[in-house]
Amino acid sequence: MSEGTSSIQTAANGFVAPRRAILDPKDMPRWQKSSAYTEISGFIEQLSSCVENKLISSDYPVSAHIQAVCQLLDTAESWIKLFPPDTTSSQRFGNRSFRRWEEELRAQAPKLLHQMLPEPAQEAVIELVPYLSESFGNATRIDYGSGHELSFVVWLMCLCKLGFLEPADSAAIVLVVFVRYLQLCQQLQRTYNLEPAGSHGVWGLDDYQFLPFYFGSAQLIGTQTTPAMGLDPGLIAEKASEYLYLQGIRFIMEMKKGPFFEHSRQLYDISGVPRWQKVNQGLGKMYQVEVLGKFPVVQHLVFGSLFSMD
Amino acid sequence: MVQSDLDRQIEQLRRCEIITENEVKELCNKAREIFIEESNVQRVDAPVTICGDIHGQFYDLQELFKVGGECPDTNYLFMGDFVDRGFYSVETFLLLLALKVRYPDRISLLRGNHESRQITQVYGFYDECMRKYGSANVWRNCCEVFDYMSLVAIIDDRVLCVHGGLSPVINTVDQIRTIDRKQEVPHEGAMCDLLWSDPEDISGWGLSPRGAGYLFGGDVVRSFLHTNHLSMIARAHQLVMEGYKKMFDETCVTVWSAPNYCYRCGNVAAILEFDENLKQDYKIFDAAPQEARGIPAKKPAPDYFL
Repeated sequence: MSEGTSSIQTAANGFVAPRRAILDPKDMPRWQKSSAYTEISGFIEQLSSCVENKLISSDYPVSAHIQAVCQLLDTAESWIKLFPPDTTSSQRFGNRSFRRWEEELRAQAPKLLHQMLPEPAQEAVIELVPYLSESFGNATRIDYGSGHELSFVVWLMCLCKLGFLEPADSAAIVLVVFVRYLQLCQQLQRTYNLEPAGSHGVWGLDDYQFLPFYFGSAQLIGTQTTPAMGLDPGLIAEKASEYLYLQGIRFIMEMKKGPFFEHSRQLYDISGVPRWQKVNQGLGKMYQVEVLGKFPVVQHLVFGSLFSMD
Repeated sequence: MVQSDLDRQIEQLRRCEIITENEVKELCNKAREIFIEESNVQRVDAPVTICGDIHGQFYDLQELFKVGGECPDTNYLFMGDFVDRGFYSVETFLLLLALKVRYPDRISLLRGNHESRQITQVYGFYDECMRKYGSANVWRNCCEVFDYMSLVAIIDDRVLCVHGGLSPVINTVDQIRTIDRKQEVPHEGAMCDLLWSDPEDISGWGLSPRGAGYLFGGDVVRSFLHTNHLSMIARAHQLVMEGYKKMFDETCVTVWSAPNYCYRCGNVAAILEFDENLKQDYKIFDAAPQEARGIPAKKPAPDYFL
């Protein structure tokens, strides 16, 4: 057990700086039995089911708080032009200027969260900062992977637990906030050429993301399209603005050169699954095993009072 | 193993077709017998062509052979990272291994940081073996071979070749000879550093952003070369958009042999030819064109989707 857990319970205001608690593969069973695990996997599954057969432009409530989260992401995106890619040294995979963007995020995150949250929730900033800061990639290694995406979703779940986001916001959490988050991530990946973190190469679902395909497959349930059509450039051009899954495929096709079956084998094979319902269920199971169940990914998670291993 | 069997396997692998699990096992045993006899520090004679990371990019390896000449006509030294990331790690590694068994004096294979159980479970080679063979046996056999591969090579007593770079705990080549290399790549220490370190424009040693190995400066290279009467270090391990990069007054060169790395980087690749007088000639090549690649049949979706 980590030294972090006891201090969580003794903190006076209830909120504490989150700490790592999955330090060894031996900690995995404890993680998989924790309330944190149950809550985050339930939260993700619920987000998927609430966007079934919904377009990005469908009619669903978009609250002021949803807009506030998007503004925070807008601000973070605006820093990219402050730190253009360093062209003087190009030896590493990722561009070193990402470190300056990430430093800005770390420096500004507490202030942005104070601005975003109403007074009673402000004491939680200490817990929210780490999840937000870890959501866009690792500055040391200049990489990004599904662990960073998971950190963002944990942050969203913490906002829900604080009551800042509400059950009525569910569809907008995916179709507005998460869509906005992905745009920012893609902008960072494109600008700084972030290295795929532990991506299983061509055998992973995608170099960077997982959830757009999971949420996106839910959107496609009950539509006229089939998974085979999901790789069709015509359909992608026509419908990507409405569907996360197609946006994910479009980004791969934009960034990668070479045969699709070679560089994105899993997605290629998934296109042979007969129905989106099956794809969605399969991706849900796969996420549990390949992301939440993998020590190299979840070892970086931190735990406080909102997202707790107890 | 009968030579004609081996030749058939080489032909098959050159067509990018896998060999059977039993054949892999036998090939790995044979390769291990050869690697056991090699020292940590392989002696290599010029002329020789040296190559950097391949990462399962089989059709690009074919391009490399087109540019550099086929084995055994050309004498090759590969500096590791045969597997992970790309689609054809199995075919790539087994072809190189089969060539090693067939022509042991015409091809040298050094261990890279990806030739490791831990790394291959995260970066794709394990998944690939599971997909292509339906069990982990081939992966296990290959990992046992990894443990026996040499750590460095020295060409004509002048050029040190290594996957990553130098180590702060190693001052002499003789110290490299004393490492017990027959194990999984450790998380720290001399063997880890040789496979993980990077040259950097600093003086002395620095912490590596990779979390393993070190950064080493030009002064470190200069003093190592001086102590060991060497003229340069050739290494791989880092993507270079132009295929190769010389540093520290040409005393250290990075050679990168995986074009359009990860299908996304848009880089060219390079090999470095040393002639019998150790004169250097860099050859640049691009990713194999689309029409040179196979079209595998659709496989059943993974279990999650059944």
